[in-house]
Amino acid sequence: MAELKVLFKDIDVPGIERLEVYEQHGGYSALRKALGMTRQQVIDEVKASGLRGRGGAGFPAWIKWNGIPKDESQPHYVQCNADEGEPGTFKDRELMLRHPHQLIEGIIIAGYAILSKVGYIYIRGEYTEPARVMRRAIDEAYRAGYLGKNILGSGVDFDLYIHMGAGSYECGEESAMMSSIMGERGQPRLKFPHAPLPTIAGLWNCPTLINNVETLSCVPAIIRNGGAWYASMGTEKSTGTKIFSVSGHVNKPGNYEVEMGTPLMELLELAGGVKGKLKAVIPGGSSVPILPAEKCDVNLDYESLQSAGTMLGSGGFMVLNDTVCIVKFMRRTAAFYAHESCGKCTPCREGTRWMVKIFDRILAGGGRMEDIDLLLDICDQIDGRSYCGLGDAAAWPIRASIQHYRHEYEYYIKHGRSMVEVEGKAVA
Amino acid sequence: MAQEELVTIEINGIELQVPKGEMIIESAKRIGVDIPFFCYHPRLGKGQAANCRMCLVEAGTKQPDGSVRMMPKPQTSCTLPASQGLVVFTDTVAIQKARRGILEFLLINHPLDCPICDRGGECPLQNNTLFYGPAVSRFIEEKRHLPKAFPLSDYVVLDRERCIHCARCTRFSQEISGDAQLEFLKRGADMMVSTFQDTEFTSRFSGNTIELCPVGALTSRAYRFRARPWDMKSQKSICTRCSNGCNIWLDYRPNRLVRVLGRENEAVNEEWTCDRGKFGHEYISSDRRLLSPLIRRDGKFVTASWVEAYHLIASHLRQAVAEHGAQSVGAIGGAHLSNEEAYLLQKLMRVAVGTNNIDHRLERNQVAGGDTLLARLGVPFTQNAIADIERAKTLFILGADLVDEQPIVFLRARKAWFRFGANVIIAHPEVTETELRFDEPVILRYREGTEKTLIHGLLYLVLQSGKAVTSALPSEELQSLQASLSAYTPSRVSQETGVAESVLRETADLLGEGTLVLCAGRVRNHPEYAELVGALVNLTLLTGNGARENGGLNILLPEVNSHGAADMGVLPDMLPGYVRVSDTTARQRMEKLWETALPAEPGLNTQAMLESAAEGHLQVLYVVGEDIAHKYHDPDLARRALENAGFVVVQDLFLTETAQYADVVLPAASVAEKEGTFTNTERRVQRFWKAFNAPSPEVKPDLNIFAELAVYLGKPLPVFSAEQLMEEIGQAFPAYAHCCYDQLPPEGVRWQTTSLGEEE
Amino acid sequence: MSEAIRLSEYPRLRRLDEKQPPELRFSERAVQELEHIKRHYPNKRAALLPALWIAQREYGGYLPPEALMEVAYRLGTSYAVVEGVATFYTMYNKRPVGRVMLEVCTNLTCSICGGYEILRHLEEKLGIKVGETTPDGQFTLVEVECLNDCGNAPVMQVGNRYFGRLTPEKVDALLEELKNSDAHTVVQLADTIVQCHLMESERQDIERALAKAQAMNEEQDG
Repeated sequence: MAELKVLFKDIDVPGIERLEVYEQHGGYSALRKALGMTRQQVIDEVKASGLRGRGGAGFPAWIKWNGIPKDESQPHYVQCNADEGEPGTFKDRELMLRHPHQLIEGIIIAGYAILSKVGYIYIRGEYTEPARVMRRAIDEAYRAGYLGKNILGSGVDFDLYIHMGAGSYECGEESAMMSSIMGERGQPRLKFPHAPLPTIAGLWNCPTLINNVETLSCVPAIIRNGGAWYASMGTEKSTGTKIFSVSGHVNKPGNYEVEMGTPLMELLELAGGVKGKLKAVIPGGSSVPILPAEKCDVNLDYESLQSAGTMLGSGGFMVLNDTVCIVKFMRRTAAFYAHESCGKCTPCREGTRWMVKIFDRILAGGGRMEDIDLLLDICDQIDGRSYCGLGDAAAWPIRASIQHYRHEYEYYIKHGRSMVEVEGKAVA
Repeated sequence: MAQEELVTIEINGIELQVPKGEMIIESAKRIGVDIPFFCYHPRLGKGQAANCRMCLVEAGTKQPDGSVRMMPKPQTSCTLPASQGLVVFTDTVAIQKARRGILEFLLINHPLDCPICDRGGECPLQNNTLFYGPAVSRFIEEKRHLPKAFPLSDYVVLDRERCIHCARCTRFSQEISGDAQLEFLKRGADMMVSTFQDTEFTSRFSGNTIELCPVGALTSRAYRFRARPWDMKSQKSICTRCSNGCNIWLDYRPNRLVRVLGRENEAVNEEWTCDRGKFGHEYISSDRRLLSPLIRRDGKFVTASWVEAYHLIASHLRQAVAEHGAQSVGAIGGAHLSNEEAYLLQKLMRVAVGTNNIDHRLERNQVAGGDTLLARLGVPFTQNAIADIERAKTLFILGADLVDEQPIVFLRARKAWFRFGANVIIAHPEVTETELRFDEPVILRYREGTEKTLIHGLLYLVLQSGKAVTSALPSEELQSLQASLSAYTPSRVSQETGVAESVLRETADLLGEGTLVLCAGRVRNHPEYAELVGALVNLTLLTGNGARENGGLNILLPEVNSHGAADMGVLPDMLPGYVRVSDTTARQRMEKLWETALPAEPGLNTQAMLESAAEGHLQVLYVVGEDIAHKYHDPDLARRALENAGFVVVQDLFLTETAQYADVVLPAASVAEKEGTFTNTERRVQRFWKAFNAPSPEVKPDLNIFAELAVYLGKPLPVFSAEQLMEEIGQAFPAYAHCCYDQLPPEGVRWQTTSLGEEE
Repeated sequence: MSEAIRLSEYPRLRRLDEKQPPELRFSERAVQELEHIKRHYPNKRAALLPALWIAQREYGGYLPPEALMEVAYRLGTSYAVVEGVATFYTMYNKRPVGRVMLEVCTNLTCSICGGYEILRHLEEKLGIKVGETTPDGQFTLVEVECLNDCGNAPVMQVGNRYFGRLTPEKVDALLEELKNSDAHTVVQLADTIVQCHLMESERQDIERALAKAQAMNEEQDG
């Protein structure tokens, strides 16, 4: 099987990041079409497509769209999540860097559908190169009348602002991102049922639609070709295509767009095959449980990966070969979450740092056998009890690594050194 | 008010009905189910709560078929709103494990210095660990190390190692006090509470953060290492530092005050205290208290017995009255006395001495009775209850820096804006701390002294707008007002006051029903007080706030019992209950009650007494609880008066500057050493109780002193207790009839102004 | 008692007068930029992150306390709140840094693709440890979390650009280039981010306003 390109269909067209080239390839025709449809028709089309959120959680997109109140008693906002921070993921970077108008068109259509006049695209501070491309493209779109007042004479207004982060993984979490846009510390906010959904009370307590770059980038094609067309791809519950950011020990790392349900091993082949002997795959970014090589005979869609004990996540597909020491790799993972924990809630703030301290002690040769169960128990104490998903995400990979590679931990603790001692190759 | 919608929920198998949306942690209290917590606080917004994760419960919803669908994760009960069919379990094995886990996490970096921690013994972290925590810790790594015992200010000490990051203090400083001086820095496990760049924590409400802190991270510098909580006793009391009447606890060890804590009273201070209140009662246990009466002999004070002192005072009083008439005697004081004492003081002067020369006012304006407010709005000083401030639509703060002058009223004002979205107008000639606590309030930066013009200008605009409630004024009054206002065009007012026309218009647009005016010292002491207050009354009436609960005019008072002293008739021209001494019928009623004839001529007010004394006319000046040489608005006059008065008696806690002039000094008991009632600025009568004994048996409550002095004057005013006296007060001033101790509810009573009308 | 003595050993904390506006150092351009950005949001508090970026540029690549105070003053919020936000995000520099920051990713993919080797190489080459600045103030070396360009691992961010598929040789050549270039400095990064917030029409407005102000100044001088 080969790639199936929807989002990437025109990505190799030279100059597609420029408005006139994008228009030559059908750009903004979806917007024109959408403006001719009723708002509900647009939402219904997204519903028919079966599109699910590509940010990591896989929540059906149309439910969010449809959840926005249908009146204009308050301002409505579109919040595009371009804070790609999940380790192993770099698809949004490419979508913005090389295909900015596709995203902008998607955002405008979303804005139209939910009666919004203002959108914010939250780009992480490190992504200055994509942000500059987006800036240029937005300016072009304003000049051409796709943004601003009275879009294409339709009477619809929509302003799109770039809001840049400043270095925080947590801000990729949608409610923390709202905090960040509102000028606060990037800490998460209460969620349903403790507070109304963002679609009712999001930014400044107004209805807010929050979608990921990849999700919104799918919208123009869905409107152009119809939801049914999109739903015809992929599996029944995981429709369409998905971009996987393949990195690590493969010969041709990069972004690959494949149909949902593609076998994992085929994606590996697309990426030029594994360098060395495959040890494990982390299929959805650092937050998802690790998948050992022997379990890699699985299809890439939400349901299949879940039944294999992991998740599709953001599509950050990291490939590890047999030179990787799981203990050291997981120490790095734990350190990442400890560094990025916002500090708001007890389990994540204290638990993530504690785990790093235990890992450091093990790596320094001071491990005790009971540390393995202690790590597992700390994972249990964080998982499900933290304020937001970051805590869960810190616990899952470590728990899974112990489940699958307990022997490596035991070896390390017993011998004070890694089982995978290949000079210069193992994780430092 | 609309009926609250009730929903049926189930907690641990017990079905109960609670208001929809109530937090489950509160619902659980209703059936006595304990849910441990750290960060939750009912007065702090729930938006920033749920971070300690201690109050986790398992929750689900009842399905139509009767089964329960459980939520996959445990939920924080402090933010979980009650909804129909919600099912909650607070004590499952999973929850027990979760609580152990959270406590283990909290303790891994928490120093175990409980033996020397001021929170020890009343520490939620200790308590929750005892009941819900793990017996041992599995943490063998190095704990976090940060500076310990770091003084953030003269009041607050911060120990960052002990902090459990519950965010109560930061939320308080951002949501309640509004100064936002405390915030978390950094993130993750490095997160720590701090002021900006470790500068001084200057909030006027910093003490509350000490009480809010669930561990010993924020502690009181004054209370530091002074007592263990279990060694202390507590007594209910009222703060004496301003007229707000905040409810406090006095925590004491034998005969010594060690700290002050806020006491809940929804109607007054909710549970907050200002720093002046919290840290300003040290005087009670000062070593410099007077311990016995003093008599001046050969220019020096010598210790004397009460009998000697009373004889001396009584003989001078008798002599003065005999030789110069009762008008040659005067008494100043009352604003720091309890109602009972104030009542007895004026009764002593009127009945035993026979003079109306009595006044409690030390400020510039000692306006003759029948003040505009009383005459036109039917209230002595304030129209609205403190709690009603939060319901106002527009707050108009005129010439007052509330943060400084009336801190707890400020908290209500801020709540009105922060929680309920009231508009805020602040008129003040200078930048005030108050205005910094609101986001972009309307600011009228008028020129010093132009308040009257400003209000007239606003009246002009209100009348012009057509929204004025003109029926609130009699038509001829309205006409003359309109005529007199014609000169106050926006351009002229703008020129005179320095406030831009657009701002004047913006302000006028905000004025209407639900406009609540708050004034304090600057208005009370205004040179054109009567005209200014007249204009404010017109504004109140014309905006339809003549008799509203969430709108009206409020002139806040300076001292703890300024209101009570006025109520009790510590005024030269008024008897208890605001009846004029010149009103024969009213006076006769009082004569009957007191079984004696009363002088019909109004007496001298403070200013007149002091002037008379300064000129050597006043034979005896009796100063009770006021350091007039220091605090009178014209201290020079006060000093001259004290020098030239024939005989000076000072009754106080300390040898004040005023007392230095005295011939006899009488040591009085502090608020902690006696009982009684105070009436706060919203005319709420509240009780306080005796906590401990005075520092010496020779120190007496003012009530006893007045009663005993009356005996020495040969006109006994038998008093057995403050309680009994309150019953008499109820007869003298029927509005206080509901304030008898057996009737007075814990939150006190705002006396009804309608009884003032009946009186007339 | 002994503790009371210890407390008094601490120097008295500096007291700030909130009623006194802080020293303001934003350039006219920065003021204009902030004014425009404020209008992107329903309240000015929301402009805090961009305002800090402007400040980081205006104050030469980091945020001294004065910068935080200026931002707080311009947005009408408290100093502590601004410091809380500034210290939450890693890209705001709270201490002075070198002219150019080398931010090497050592997160998961980079960690198994040579990120640490690049970091060690840079330490050796520059003669400094991670987190330090070279004595000449040219470079600050930092280890960062995932830059999300894992397809090009190992990756390093230098100012407003990423450099991927790094090898020690590539790094050496890059260092030479950076020494003589102002394209990817710390200040340049802040400016790039500020400019990304501004719409074309806003950038034009700012230029026009600045030109007009300059013309008026010249007129006055002349």
